[in-house]
Amino acid sequence: MMNSMNDLLEELKKLFGNFEVQEIDEREVKIDVESDKVVGILTTLKSKGYSHLSLLTCVDWINENKFELIYILYSWQNGCKFIVATWIERKNPKFVTVMNLWPVARFYEREIHEFFGVEFEGNDDMKPLILELWDDIPPLRKDFDPLEYSKKKFPGRQYDKDVIQEALIFRGDKNG
Amino acid sequence: MSYERTIWEKIADNLRSRSMWMLHYCTGCGAVELPPSMTSRFDMERLGMGPMATPRQADIFLITGYLSVKTLRRVIYTYEQMPDPKYVVGFGSCTINGGIYYDSYATINRVDYYIPVDLYIAGCMPRPEAIFEAFTELMRMIRKGEAIGWKKYKENYEWYKQNQLKSLGEVYVHDEFHE
Repeated sequence: MMNSMNDLLEELKKLFGNFEVQEIDEREVKIDVESDKVVGILTTLKSKGYSHLSLLTCVDWINENKFELIYILYSWQNGCKFIVATWIERKNPKFVTVMNLWPVARFYEREIHEFFGVEFEGNDDMKPLILELWDDIPPLRKDFDPLEYSKKKFPGRQYDKDVIQEALIFRGDKNG
Repeated sequence: MSYERTIWEKIADNLRSRSMWMLHYCTGCGAVELPPSMTSRFDMERLGMGPMATPRQADIFLITGYLSVKTLRRVIYTYEQMPDPKYVVGFGSCTINGGIYYDSYATINRVDYYIPVDLYIAGCMPRPEAIFEAFTELMRMIRKGEAIGWKKYKENYEWYKQNQLKSLGEVYVHDEFHE
């Protein structure tokens, strides 16, 4: 881990209390924080040069019954990345928007709302972003079965089993 | 509807098969095989074929690879804009049975359920040699009067529309950035 990141981590810990730190790379570190401290930490990081929101995404941990929200911040000064992760309840998922910090978050939040069903308070624009006329539960949730949906919605092709043909291929008379 | 052709239609089909304009609408990853087919190595123009930018002047419609639900709406728009006679070539295994996207919530599994397909090219992706095999076969089919997908579409319009509505909900395209 770079020295500047270490210093920043110490400062964050002083401000927001202890949290779990996971070093991924020399220039990449992941921190797991409580959800009420996320906005504070993001604001601090932004003011310390981590001004680029590379990605805001979500992971569905169905066994823990939680969603993990992940913010990836990038610094253009030293090329380092901070990955800020937080856990929210899977049932009735809600979080606050970071649109006032990064206007681009509007679209990331729309996408997460569309694919995971997470509501972002403060973001007034929760229209679907990518899918058209979606009619099921959000598709990237782990309890959504894409195969079943595909079978129901998009009929496939039926094939008749041709035993003789298969035997010929199996014996090597024909190229399968 | 009978598919018998008059002598004039036979002559026209003969001429048509030798001058075909292919709509340049690349729907999936199969589009990468088209630049080598068009350019000097395989040289599509020796068959009298060329790329065409708009559907209103095109004869062939290539569905190159998977079709997402969103793209299918645009494909139906495009197909219906093309003037008769029009021929559709399904390209790669995704158009035949869904290919590796058979269990995707966003891509359809077979194209001939929504628009008529005259010819399929199997493979993931088919090489330019396979594409040329298919084009010469399509030319033969046009000369023999076997490429009649566009007639079937008119004849079974209700069936196709009903399938489209069943999978898409609505064929009309809504677009927040242009409305």
